[in-house]
Amino acid sequence: MSPGEFQQLCDFFYRRTGMIFTEAKRYYVERRVLERMGAIGVSTFAQYFARLRMDTDGEIEQVVNAFTVNETYFYREDHQFRCLTTDLLRQRVAVKAPAESIRIWSVPCSTGEEPYSIAMWLLENWPEVDNHDIELVGSDIDTRVLRDAQVGIYGKRALMRLTPDLVERFFDKEGEDAFRLVADVRDSVGFTRVNMVEPDATRAQGVFDVIFCRNMLIYFDEESRRLAAENLYECLKPGGFICLGHTESMSRISSLFEVRRFADAIVYQRPLEVGRG
Amino acid sequence: MPLIKRDPPAASPASTVSTSVSRRLASESTSERWAAARAMVQEPGAVPLLAEALRTEQAPEVREALFTTLIRIHSVESATALAFMIRSDDAQLRTGALDALGGLMDVARPLLPDLLADKDPDVRLLACELVRRVDPEDGTRLLCGMLESETEANVCGAAVGVLSDIADDSAISVLERCATRFASDPYLGFAFADAIERASTRLAPDE
Repeated sequence: MSPGEFQQLCDFFYRRTGMIFTEAKRYYVERRVLERMGAIGVSTFAQYFARLRMDTDGEIEQVVNAFTVNETYFYREDHQFRCLTTDLLRQRVAVKAPAESIRIWSVPCSTGEEPYSIAMWLLENWPEVDNHDIELVGSDIDTRVLRDAQVGIYGKRALMRLTPDLVERFFDKEGEDAFRLVADVRDSVGFTRVNMVEPDATRAQGVFDVIFCRNMLIYFDEESRRLAAENLYECLKPGGFICLGHTESMSRISSLFEVRRFADAIVYQRPLEVGRG
Repeated sequence: MPLIKRDPPAASPASTVSTSVSRRLASESTSERWAAARAMVQEPGAVPLLAEALRTEQAPEVREALFTTLIRIHSVESATALAFMIRSDDAQLRTGALDALGGLMDVARPLLPDLLADKDPDVRLLACELVRRVDPEDGTRLLCGMLESETEANVCGAAVGVLSDIADDSAISVLERCATRFASDPYLGFAFADAIERASTRLAPDE
């Protein structure tokens, strides 16, 4: 791939997804493009790029799937889940109308470990769980991982932070290195495709009380980060919370949110609208 | 099992930019102005309206959306509008404009020489920070060019602060000459010495 072709591809990818790849990522990009070229049987970049631009046979979705990073595991950064059940939900419930459901969004959700972890954590650690309707949504730009999430089969590596007791109660062994999440938990999460830099796509998800958006904004450039932050803001109820990855800071991206420091985590909150037009 | 699964709500209609957008931008409703500010990214001729709105908008979230839309328009016109806001007496507007300009430096770069030579020292001072966002070699040239004739101590201080982070050894002679002009200022004396020491550890690309 020539420098011009590489730039052409990166520009196209950026416009479509907000993800940015520099020369430092050339090897990563080239490998995945070569894989896609091999998969559809074209031999030159020009041919491939033409198919990509025309979105022939859904090639844009395929290349997005190939470029996204999906490594995760159950109960990752569980201090935020502790914060959820200790502080965040208490504050959200306090301002809710009776019978109003609690909506929690995991985005990007990859193969489902995060939204399923939230479901398991709530069942295990929130005494009020039976008193509320809780709606969990997992979203990702990668349709391949969403399909895997719905199937809910995981290897030992994804379960490494779970106690044997949790594995025993929440998973059915399906092979030497295959564990299937029980249907009750699988069925408790709805999965949707979303591109976080498309406002109409994010608005379609509705508004949430708590959003987990961990380790996604780091892949965006400044402009896309601001756009994604505004989309997240729109998807939060006033007073709702957003949890980012431990290396991320919303304060460096946007002034839309207030920093809230709890015992277990630092999170960001959409301000309550008091006396606003 | 108290966890419930529900289809997501139906999508709200896609934002359609229309002639009513500018009217919505002046609405009394914060949420209307927020939505209008975001929708204007597709509106031809939006930049003057967005800039005007920024001058009067008081709601922080709407301001944020107005700035982001100017960044997303990503044109010399939007960069020029933001550069003009650096002159504002409103500190939040100045800071927001600086942050936004930093996000579109590829189109804002041609504005830097004029900003660094502006007759208002506050504008020159703030422009120094923007130089951090360009290529270090380019930034070093820009700031060294300014330092040769800069008379305001505060502006020199800002420029030297940036140069200590980005400059290579090609900047040392300029830094030494400028240090001589401000020899009686203890802070600048320290800042120049520090910048010279740090620049001397970085070789210019053609060496």
